[in-house]
Amino acid sequence: MKLTRAEQLTHTGANLQVRFSRVILSSEGYSTVTLFKEFVLPRLVQWVVVIVIGVTITFMIPRLSPVNPVDQALGRMTTFQTMNPEATQALRETFLDLYGLEGNIFDQYLNFWRRLLVGDLGPSFTSFPTPVMQIIGNSVGWTIGLLGISTFVSWLLGLILGSLAGYFSNHWWSQLLEKILITVYPIPYYILAFVLLMIFTYYLPLFPLVGGARGTPGFTWEYIGSILYFGFLPALSLIIGAVAFRFIMSKALTTSEKSSDYVQYAELAALPKRKILFSYVTRNTMLPQVTDLALSLGALFEGALITEVVFGYPGLGYTLFNAVNSADYNVIMGITLLSIVGIATASLLVDLSYPLFDPRVRYR
Amino acid sequence: MVRKLVFLLLLVLLVAPTTFGFAQEPQGLPVTVPREQMFVLDQIFRYGVAGNYNMWAPGAVTPHRHALMSETFWYRDQETGERIYGLASSDPIYNDDYTQMNVDLRDNIYWSDGVQFTADDVVFTVETLMATPTLTESGWGAQFNQFVDSVEKTGDFGVQFNLGTENPRFHTLFETRWNGVYIMPKHIYENIDDPTTYVDVNPIVLGNYVPIQFDPNGFWELFQRRADPERSVAGVITGNVGPEYVLSIFYGDSARKAIAMSRGELDTYFDADIEAFQTTLDTTPTARSWYTEFPWAYPNENDDRHFFFNYEFDPILQNRDVRWALALSINMVQLQTEYIGGVAKVSALPITPTAPLRTLYYDPLEDWLINLQIEIEPGTMYTPYDPTVPDQIAAWAESEGYTVPGTPREVFGSGWWNFAPDVAERLLLDNGFTRDGSGNWLKPDGQPWTLDVQAPPDENDAFRMATAAADMWSDFGIDVNLQGLERNSWDQNRFTGQYGLTTMWQSFALTDGDMWPQMQQLHSRYYIPNGEDARTSGGGWLNTTRLQDPQIDAFIDEMATLLPGSDESVELNREFLMYWTENMLSLPVIGFKKFVTWDERYWTGFPTSENPNYMPLYWFQAGKFAIQNLTAAPAS
Repeated sequence: MKLTRAEQLTHTGANLQVRFSRVILSSEGYSTVTLFKEFVLPRLVQWVVVIVIGVTITFMIPRLSPVNPVDQALGRMTTFQTMNPEATQALRETFLDLYGLEGNIFDQYLNFWRRLLVGDLGPSFTSFPTPVMQIIGNSVGWTIGLLGISTFVSWLLGLILGSLAGYFSNHWWSQLLEKILITVYPIPYYILAFVLLMIFTYYLPLFPLVGGARGTPGFTWEYIGSILYFGFLPALSLIIGAVAFRFIMSKALTTSEKSSDYVQYAELAALPKRKILFSYVTRNTMLPQVTDLALSLGALFEGALITEVVFGYPGLGYTLFNAVNSADYNVIMGITLLSIVGIATASLLVDLSYPLFDPRVRYR
Repeated sequence: MVRKLVFLLLLVLLVAPTTFGFAQEPQGLPVTVPREQMFVLDQIFRYGVAGNYNMWAPGAVTPHRHALMSETFWYRDQETGERIYGLASSDPIYNDDYTQMNVDLRDNIYWSDGVQFTADDVVFTVETLMATPTLTESGWGAQFNQFVDSVEKTGDFGVQFNLGTENPRFHTLFETRWNGVYIMPKHIYENIDDPTTYVDVNPIVLGNYVPIQFDPNGFWELFQRRADPERSVAGVITGNVGPEYVLSIFYGDSARKAIAMSRGELDTYFDADIEAFQTTLDTTPTARSWYTEFPWAYPNENDDRHFFFNYEFDPILQNRDVRWALALSINMVQLQTEYIGGVAKVSALPITPTAPLRTLYYDPLEDWLINLQIEIEPGTMYTPYDPTVPDQIAAWAESEGYTVPGTPREVFGSGWWNFAPDVAERLLLDNGFTRDGSGNWLKPDGQPWTLDVQAPPDENDAFRMATAAADMWSDFGIDVNLQGLERNSWDQNRFTGQYGLTTMWQSFALTDGDMWPQMQQLHSRYYIPNGEDARTSGGGWLNTTRLQDPQIDAFIDEMATLLPGSDESVELNREFLMYWTENMLSLPVIGFKKFVTWDERYWTGFPTSENPNYMPLYWFQAGKFAIQNLTAAPAS
């Protein structure tokens, strides 16, 4: 049986909750050190192992592909002009040396870790000598800003609207909202994005076609205002689709929770509906939704390639796409490292923080 | 209360950004320069990194920048074929055995910081590139190390290159098609410890424009005219100062460029698909391309689209008759009109049919083409060339209500091969091919004949041309496997030989007609077998065909010894073209065309078919003259 994403997250949350409960139960009466050894430490070790394995695989994959940065560099040169073949061969040797690709793959792997441990990701090959850190630094702020805000806003809106619609499911506005969002949800993102682009840049030319801001970066109202202006349309496109998904998930969870005995008891006790909804029902649906939020935030560093391309918006997605295409190993490694650490850390934090969100876990 | 809060939140989200945006300026350009002082051009790709204007470093970005900032000795204009003197004030002057080249330099050119350009800059540039192999731009350093013994100044405005071997083409390193050696400011770079890793944020330039602002994410760059444009090469040549500001900006696909132009946020784009171009004409009344009417597009970029065969992918392609059968089963008039929209020039020779190259090669070889015969069966000869192809395309254009702006040959290129599937069939049958019960071709060994054709969809014409041919070959009974591949995969397959036919582009002649620089990589000494990367031998594009032909080697060896442009050289080139064509060693189809389109709302003076002073290819280094020639439109 294939589960929907909402169901998967619900199951994940429930499983994690059970696992955590067992640990807490078994740790009853144990010292903090024991708790650390039996609960926290294994997860930290797992976190490190995931990162090392992820980085190693990412290191190997581009090197096993037939595309290599030296030939890509030569290819870029010969796209525009013909070069003398002997000179091209001499350049080949120069690039091998310049990019540090001489020696076997094991030596390169050791060199990579050696550099990484001192915080050096090396230079980009396609944009030599620009350091990878600078390239990532140019992009990462836009990605975090756009995806972070749109993820959080869509999560919050989806949670609130879904809870309201689930609890007041017989109201006309609840049914209308559900119909609209269920209609929006299956629309492929790139179509939605392109429609928004056409409407708001061509038919109603309200928003810009390209870029993340206007003018020179600085803490001025003008510049910050332009960031909001340039980011609005890409953010809107992301929020619309994500709200629809989270609305459906939240409504399903609320509807399920609404039929619980404690809710009926609270209603019989004539507690205010607002209190029942937000103090009891919504809190009890939070676990899978917090998991979803944390993992979505952890995955920010993958970027949003389609959004960046459709709206001409800066970010990590396009940078990674270009790096893969041109076999820019160092940039690929830099961004992937960020992404792996982001997701692994988000998972770790979710795992460790369940007791904070669910008192049942603490009490058990 | 909750409802009110949610409503309020939504309202703020919707209204705030637009309010912020409108509060600044009612348009979407990323800079705040007055629009009427700024020429906005389409940046041909998004830069991986911006803000480093070290033009000799390995990752240097050159398009647009080299037109605005850099200078070299000579520019070869692709429209006129003329040599324009850049920093040089003379032609290259060789000694008798081509082991020395002297050049006189202009004495009225200055760097943007006011220091005069002299021979010292040239000597410094050459010696620095030779001593620093890691300054890899365009492979100039490696080529200097191959050819140059020494370089010396003969005065403040004269240099002499002492060459290690005879080389009558040494000057081409300083003469543009795409670019020529960018001269370094000695007074700046002599103080730099490591020029390879030097990040040049505020460059001192010889060109007319200095970069003043950039997007760290590579979407755009803003340049400002220097205070003394009359002391730059483009200022001297055109006598015009050029726009105060130039913004290069990357919009992405054709649709977005069309939208930007309709909003007045783009003055020129370098190309678009025909649908986006027609949308531009509909939505921007002040926009136009090379021609004001059909066929609109600029047809004279010196590059040519072929089907290249991989001689080792399927041995059947080594058979000349098979290659001719493929040519004769293509209906060129249909391909050029229905698939390409009638807007490109047809090329029967592997040479772009620009005006200068038509005079040099197409016109003198027309009689030979008309009289060319191939043997289709023992003792049966066939005349494959149809000189009326341009006339047929002109007739189609008139039937569509278009007016043809010139003679059919000027506008639509050369004749091409007859559409003769019956003859193609005889050629195949004579070589042991058969048809199965469904009419599909079987190879002489009885196996179905599958033709593997690869093209990159981002090269619009290449992909349309491949689609047309695939349709026609399928109709002829060949099983065609057409693959539209992302550019990197397409490149990789070519270099490693994983293709049957590919839609590669290459003009066999430079703008001045010389062919050896383009042809040299076809020499069998650069041959790399299928399965290995063709780049490892130093070859680039042409040796991906895996062709080994002693006759071709002999041509190339002899070409190398002749002075480019000499009668002997041109005559030998023609003989080479005849050999190539007779053996159908590649299948040339159409020349490059570009919908270089500009909006005359803010600027006028861009080159047009009525005023073809310079090529409109502004992203090449010689594109500087088109930009420098602009003047503000009266209305703006």
